[in-house]
Amino acid sequence: MDLNITASDVILLAHAAFGVSGIIAGLWVFVEALNASPANAIRLRTAAYLTAICMAAAWICGGYWYVNFYPAEKALILKGPWPFAHNIFMETKEHLFFVTGILAFLLPIATRETLSANSAARKLVLSIAAMIVVTGVALEGAGAVIDHGVKVELLRGPGAGH
Amino acid sequence: MDESQKLFPATSGFVLSAAVTVLFNTALAWAKDIYPGLNDAMKSVAGHHWTTHGLVDLVLFVGLGLIFTSARTGEKIDPNRLVVTLTGAVVIAAVGLGLWFAFV
Repeated sequence: MDLNITASDVILLAHAAFGVSGIIAGLWVFVEALNASPANAIRLRTAAYLTAICMAAAWICGGYWYVNFYPAEKALILKGPWPFAHNIFMETKEHLFFVTGILAFLLPIATRETLSANSAARKLVLSIAAMIVVTGVALEGAGAVIDHGVKVELLRGPGAGH
Repeated sequence: MDESQKLFPATSGFVLSAAVTVLFNTALAWAKDIYPGLNDAMKSVAGHHWTTHGLVDLVLFVGLGLIFTSARTGEKIDPNRLVVTLTGAVVIAAVGLGLWFAFV
């Protein structure tokens, strides 16, 4: 069986997979913080570190792919029927990603607090985790629109609309 | 303030740093869009403007976090206000990026 999978495919899919894993880990932190007690403190901190590690991996994979492989896809998007997939969605995604990344790196610092005894710290962790999940889902959605921007151009066939 | 409701200096310092960094990140994205020369200058630093942008954000986040922690700057702000500040900064940054690239 010829899988015909390129390095570009692997790196791009790893970026998306690490991103989704980071979102899920962020959601895990949110749920643990809702039920914060001395019993789940270590689990909560583990989930926070997992969120940061997954988002760091998504940053590295996505950054490498964006710098080395995206220009060819960008050219396709811009000459196709969905140029906004780059002009709005990729432009926003590539900068909003930094916000999610910074929040993910902040999470392990915030979870060093004793959440079961400190309602302000608990509120802080809940807010950070919720923002990671919301911005992360928005980034995943933007990724799907960008991908579709390439697809609609390729589906038009050679020479269409040029 | 109730001592049990205070945050560690590192927590409040890095929360404040994150709020500043996400706003700076959005302002830098706008500036790069307005001034192509800035984009080119950032490209010359690390090979790609996006790579430089990310590195600048990280250095700012860590640097300001350490400064705010050692100066105990965040401790002077009520923890609940810090939460509102960070949330507000993220909302402004996210909406600011989306609207900018959609309409400007």
